[in-house]
Amino acid sequence: MVDIFALVEHRQGVIRDITYELMTCGRTLAEKQNAKLTAVLLGYNTDTFIDNLKSQAHRLLVIDNEIYKEFNAETYQMTLAEIIKKQNPMLTLIGHTAFGYDLCPSLAVHLGIPFTTDCLEIDVADHKVKITRQLFDGKLNAHVSLRENPSYILTLRSGSIPAQEGTLSTEIEKIEAPVSAEPDYRKFIEYIEAAVGEVDITKADILIGIGRGIKDQANIALMEDFASAVGGVLACSRPIVDAGWLPKDRQVGSSGKTVKPKLYIALGISGAFQHIAGMKNSDAIIAVNKDPNAPIFNEADYGIVDDLFKVVPVLKNKIVELKQAKG
Amino acid sequence: MNFDLTNDQKMLQNQVRKFAEAELAPVAPEIDKSGEFPWDNIKKMAKLGLLGIIVPEEYGGSGFDFVSLAIAVEEISRICASTGVIVAVNNSLTAYPILQFGNEEQKKKYLPQLCSGEKLGALGITEPNAGSDVAAMESTARLEGDHYILNGTKRFITNAGEAGIYVVFAYTNRELKHKGISTFIVERDTPGFSLGKHEDLMGIRATANCELIFEDAKIPKENLLAQEGDGFKICMNTLDVSRIDIGAQAVGIAQGALDEAVKYSKERKAFGQPICDFEMIQSMFAEMATKIQAARLLVYYAGYCKDKGMPRFSKESAMAKYYASDIAVEVARKAVQIHGGYGYSKDYTVERLYRDAKILELYEGTSEIQKIIIARDLVK
Amino acid sequence: MDIIVCVKRVPQTAEAEVKVDSSGKDIIRDRLTFDMNESDTYALEEAILLKEKFGGAITVISLGSVEAEDTLRIAMAKGADNAIRIKAEDFGELDGYKTAQLLGSVIKDIKHDIILTGCLATDDYYAQVGVALAELIGIPHATLVTKIDIVDSKAHAYRELEGGLLEHLEINLPALLTIQTGINEPRYASLIAIRRAAKKEIKTVGKADIAGGEIMQHSTLEELFTPPVGKRAEILTGSMDEIATKLTDIIKGKGLL
Repeated sequence: MVDIFALVEHRQGVIRDITYELMTCGRTLAEKQNAKLTAVLLGYNTDTFIDNLKSQAHRLLVIDNEIYKEFNAETYQMTLAEIIKKQNPMLTLIGHTAFGYDLCPSLAVHLGIPFTTDCLEIDVADHKVKITRQLFDGKLNAHVSLRENPSYILTLRSGSIPAQEGTLSTEIEKIEAPVSAEPDYRKFIEYIEAAVGEVDITKADILIGIGRGIKDQANIALMEDFASAVGGVLACSRPIVDAGWLPKDRQVGSSGKTVKPKLYIALGISGAFQHIAGMKNSDAIIAVNKDPNAPIFNEADYGIVDDLFKVVPVLKNKIVELKQAKG
Repeated sequence: MNFDLTNDQKMLQNQVRKFAEAELAPVAPEIDKSGEFPWDNIKKMAKLGLLGIIVPEEYGGSGFDFVSLAIAVEEISRICASTGVIVAVNNSLTAYPILQFGNEEQKKKYLPQLCSGEKLGALGITEPNAGSDVAAMESTARLEGDHYILNGTKRFITNAGEAGIYVVFAYTNRELKHKGISTFIVERDTPGFSLGKHEDLMGIRATANCELIFEDAKIPKENLLAQEGDGFKICMNTLDVSRIDIGAQAVGIAQGALDEAVKYSKERKAFGQPICDFEMIQSMFAEMATKIQAARLLVYYAGYCKDKGMPRFSKESAMAKYYASDIAVEVARKAVQIHGGYGYSKDYTVERLYRDAKILELYEGTSEIQKIIIARDLVK
Repeated sequence: MDIIVCVKRVPQTAEAEVKVDSSGKDIIRDRLTFDMNESDTYALEEAILLKEKFGGAITVISLGSVEAEDTLRIAMAKGADNAIRIKAEDFGELDGYKTAQLLGSVIKDIKHDIILTGCLATDDYYAQVGVALAELIGIPHATLVTKIDIVDSKAHAYRELEGGLLEHLEINLPALLTIQTGINEPRYASLIAIRRAAKKEIKTVGKADIAGGEIMQHSTLEELFTPPVGKRAEILTGSMDEIATKLTDIIKGKGLL
């Protein structure tokens, strides 16, 4: 029986959501291929991890050693290379995360295995791999095939496959670490938490998210006004932080904060997947964008296809009126 | 024959476009509203060498040719017409006459200051009662010992309110008519020199357009540019050159208006379809784009004539300036039309571009004057 | 400190309409503008900042068509000393692995203390060339770097993880770092520098110059297509006033007003 590997991703003692998405993806493929899904866990003091992973895969391969306490691409690569060489899985699934960015291409090159990154959908038939991925700033999708080979390594984009409950009975297998130490040429030093700002956007009920469409730093004040009129807090997408218009702690998205407000109003945000990843679980999403094809409208509950500078003042007045009538 | 930009022109275009989109676009609507002079951006442009594009390196400039100056002014004006003319004036109306007609000391003293943005330049020809008819100017200068004593008023002077170095024209001998006009380099802190009214203009509103008032202003003798009586020649030659970049400014404004109109026409729907699908709109686009390209080629050609060292290119630069101004006003007007009522609102960029475009037909010689120059070349 | 920066010329698609061409495998390119990939501009700037601090030479390399030479020249105007174009026209379809091999075959002969690349190209979105390249030439790497300090001839790199967390790691030189946007403020080239760069030579490397084994490709693009429309938002229409009323009703309905 062939094996499919899915790598467990954890950080600071917590298993990351991508892990369950990888397991879901792996179970679907394993069922179709009549294969066995193996969750591969490299970690230290892994007991709680093991509890959390029961039922996720047919087999849980655990390598418990202090050297895996924190993620180090080089240590992980040396270890996984040994295991993959020995066990020959037909497919190894890794998250397309900061962890996967660092690990997948070099691991695959080291092993001489075909690989690709940032997959949205993965299909395996007759040992051939076909994947769907996005190109050109997410404006187009592509079908990509891989060179035929007994083994492949792929990374899966976060949020592309919703995690489902596992129902498998998981056999746990513990093995010794095939490497003895973190390499001296790359050493993990520490994690640095993002500086805590005055505002915690993860705690707000209403978030006003602004993006490239606000055009000018001078318009931030206008947006602040609107946010306070609505009783919300200003958040933003990456370009606004890169431009230095708002501090990093206001950034929503995969490299910023994940938020779940009761209401998210996206103003001039086109909806790059990295941003979507941070706000898609909001209770309600309203998007204002001039481009009717902006991907944000695929996530929003309500959309207005118009210039945000026309919408915002009218909406603000209406809300102020309402509040005054009440007050 | 070769229509390709050179490697350095391509790079200049790329970097100026990026700069304009990132740094000028955000402030362009604000300074249009407030009339505030964009010093922050002027300083950034000085650092990049945009204030002395045509000045050789030995005088602190960037050492590019006039086609390159036109490319830069087009890119800047596409985003902000005010900034475009500020740069054009510093280059071709101030640095150029000093470079072309100044002596070595004058060049060494003034050009580096103009290039570094330490002092901006302005040019004083126009007077309250002398516009197209330059020789009707009333300003006079008389030599008294080591100084010329300058009297008169100059009006509608771009950059005037913020400049430090002025190239000013006045009669040193009225009897010689236009051959009695002389040119002076005047510094801002000259005794007897003050600024008058700040003009509240319809367009290019952030250009510190002011009156210059000279009341027995004492100009050191050594600040005479070339010889006494050379003023008219300097004036005409300088305008021949500067019309190249006013043409470029026109092309930039027109291109900006077309870009806005195309974008809007894809977003705006009427009768169930985007308005860009309507043939009447498409017809306008075809005309606009063709005319812009024709104007751009005229501008490049005028620049090419100057760069090639042709002794006279008055006709070529007049054609470039006349045609580009004409179509810029037309293109901006059509861009407003395509926007419908929104185009008449200050919420949309085309409203500003339409106001900015109108000046093109008026300054550096009205369109009528350009036609006279062109026609004279045919029938003289 | 000798630095190599790998850059790519890409279509600027963030705010443009992107359409598939008749082959179904490429996009219609003629109406798009092309420029240096966004994160590569940050990588280049970081290299220039390192050079200003520590001296050394910067070599920029691009695998691209002849137009990529414009991009390389701008990199030289900003501060790179040498430029090499690997002639993409010689090598057919490229994937991340093939690109990494071609870059590696050129880079192995160039002295370097650090290699910088952007963390992701906005056209193919792979985010794999830098890391694959590091492995091929046998040096350590770190991705998504938002800060670099050089201490005792080692690099301290700060990687941007999810949720705003940073990972601080120490890495021996030579190393390859992939640079995240926002790490610095990329400069514009001055006009004088542009004029000087215009005269500089760009070395080209073609098929005949690349020695060694077979260049292998892992992935093949089969088909490009417009993404299927997902759950669509209910689009509110009407006058601005009507839209605002509908919106306030929705917000009220959630008990938020």
